[in-house]
Amino acid sequence: MEKVLLKKALPQWVKKLESYTIYSPQEEGDFWNYEVIKNAEIIDLDYLNTVLSPKKIIFPQREVLFEFSTSNEDELKVKEILPEERPAVIFGVRPCDGKALTLTDKVFGGDFKDPYYWKRRNSTTLVGLTCNTPPSSNCFCLSVDGSPHSKEGLDILMTDLGDKYYAESFTKKGDELLNSAKALFKSPTAKDKKDLEKIKAESKKKIKRQIKATEKIPAKLKDMFASPFWDDESLSCIRCGICTYLCPTCHCFDMNDEVTSSSPIKGERVRTWDNCQFPDFTMHSSGHNPRPDKASRLRQRILHKFQYFVELYKNYQCIGCGRCISKCPVGIDIIEVLEKARDYGS
Amino acid sequence: MVNLEELKKEASQILKEGKVKYIIGLQSSSNGLLPVPAFIKNPEDVEKLVWNPACVYNLTLFLRDEKRRKAKEKEPDEKPVGIIVKGCDSRAINVLLQEEFIKRDDVYILGISCENTGVLDEKKLAKKLKGKKAEKVEFGEKDDFVITTEDGKIKIAAQEVLSERCLECKAHFPVIYDVLIGEKTKRNIENPFKSLERIESLPPEERWKFWKEQIDKCIRCYACRSVCPMCYCDECVVDTISFVVTPDTPAEEKAQKIKWLEKSPVSSENFVYHFVRAIHLTGRCIDCGECERVCPLDIPIRFLNKKLEKEAKELFDYEAGFDPDQPSLVSSFKDEDPEDFIR
Repeated sequence: MEKVLLKKALPQWVKKLESYTIYSPQEEGDFWNYEVIKNAEIIDLDYLNTVLSPKKIIFPQREVLFEFSTSNEDELKVKEILPEERPAVIFGVRPCDGKALTLTDKVFGGDFKDPYYWKRRNSTTLVGLTCNTPPSSNCFCLSVDGSPHSKEGLDILMTDLGDKYYAESFTKKGDELLNSAKALFKSPTAKDKKDLEKIKAESKKKIKRQIKATEKIPAKLKDMFASPFWDDESLSCIRCGICTYLCPTCHCFDMNDEVTSSSPIKGERVRTWDNCQFPDFTMHSSGHNPRPDKASRLRQRILHKFQYFVELYKNYQCIGCGRCISKCPVGIDIIEVLEKARDYGS
Repeated sequence: MVNLEELKKEASQILKEGKVKYIIGLQSSSNGLLPVPAFIKNPEDVEKLVWNPACVYNLTLFLRDEKRRKAKEKEPDEKPVGIIVKGCDSRAINVLLQEEFIKRDDVYILGISCENTGVLDEKKLAKKLKGKKAEKVEFGEKDDFVITTEDGKIKIAAQEVLSERCLECKAHFPVIYDVLIGEKTKRNIENPFKSLERIESLPPEERWKFWKEQIDKCIRCYACRSVCPMCYCDECVVDTISFVVTPDTPAEEKAQKIKWLEKSPVSSENFVYHFVRAIHLTGRCIDCGECERVCPLDIPIRFLNKKLEKEAKELFDYEAGFDPDQPSLVSSFKDEDPEDFIR
């Protein structure tokens, strides 16, 4: 379904969606982040890249899996806690972040379908926004099979045509959203369609950064596991978790029991994001640490994204949003690391 | 004005003479305004060194890596490491010496004076430039910065775009060094704790609200800890790695393992993390401000440390990092120390 919506009618549309929880990028000081909005008037789609991607909504950093308790008879009770099935809409999803969810879909949707992830994923409608201009100077989506107007993972893609949005719906969930305010949407004219194509074509030209010959990288990395390359590249790494926590595709998690009462025992089993850059990541109970230093941890991040994931799922586990580059405290640049790896020893 | 050529000359000389193993400095980045750390071994590579207002880093944090690397080597090279420091960073060296984390012979200090300026706050500059991208930033002749944008060069008074920490700086030239580049200019900072007033003036409930909002944003990436030269513990309370569990470990032993905080990024746990860090830095933080710069969620972490710095100054007349031989704040007492808190 393809429709156009006057820009000034956007809040009216959002008002019609009162049965949904609405998320939209909000400015918080010097940065943008997704927040639940209570007032449709404050929706603002003229935003830069959010610090955290919509991953934080679909796969939250903390999630209770089940509660446990013992009664007086020492009987253990376990109660599964699944997320509430409340429909939600996320506005202003960048096409790269939408694509990121198609990658986490693969991870949480294999032989075991993770119910926590899918409850949220299925009840959330993603309304994307074409990047007419790149929202970050480190955008490089074109180098990792993405595009500033990609529809992957999205239910609706809106494109800013100046005084109106061109809305393309690709799914049933998307159609429902457009149908919820039929009077506000018009059919696109021939000129709208022409404008859309023009903006989409131009949006690609504005992406400044790129990885050259990305396709050569996975095979190259395969032979670099034991290379001293990682020692050199990680020299300035400070072992923080910014790159992976801000990454829309990183999905490693940890599970812990949080005990709130020791007698009688009561508590929750909690899943939280984990981080391959931390010293306790996949630490073995024997005391052995398979990634004992920062070189092996940087290697893990790169190989997971550009070798292991490609072998498993035929996709790069990177969507080119540039968050890890922009926010690295010491300027480690994944594009540079990959290009150096590609050319290493040749 | 600091002469970059002088820095390169000194650096090249100590490498040629074999005085140092390598030099920790900064080189320009292929992307972005801030330079990136450089570890220079060959004298010809000193040409890569840069010094400009975007040199925000406190490089002394890399002494931690050097120490770990050395501990692993069977026959470590005992030569010092050359390190480029600003005034604030040099205070960090003094604290590391005071705590005997390093020895004086471990470092050859190339000190650089900030003279009448300091380092850039990228966010302040971005606001000034209103969307224009700064390609280069250099020190100007008159306590100003020269910014190159696509439209050419503009001059901005340093005061307008300096980091908050520089506006409250107590050591604008190195307090310990082997070579000093630049001048020991005079500078008068009226109130080094001025920025704190904004929060101190709030009534307790509002102050609590302010901090709760800030701390709730934390995603526990630990960048503030990781970038801090004082956070050199082999094992941090936030990631327990030494408690080994084997199939034979009895349940009682596991139960007795102290869990200081949960991984969950919720208020209570985030507060524990930030308070533990702040208290561990009391009398040690030298206000390089790096924790605040690197925070991806812009939590004003520096205020926590600054407040404790102020308490130490007012209650115990203690300042960190000016004297490597002074007893540390938390391990010493004087008869005249205030004791009103004992009731």
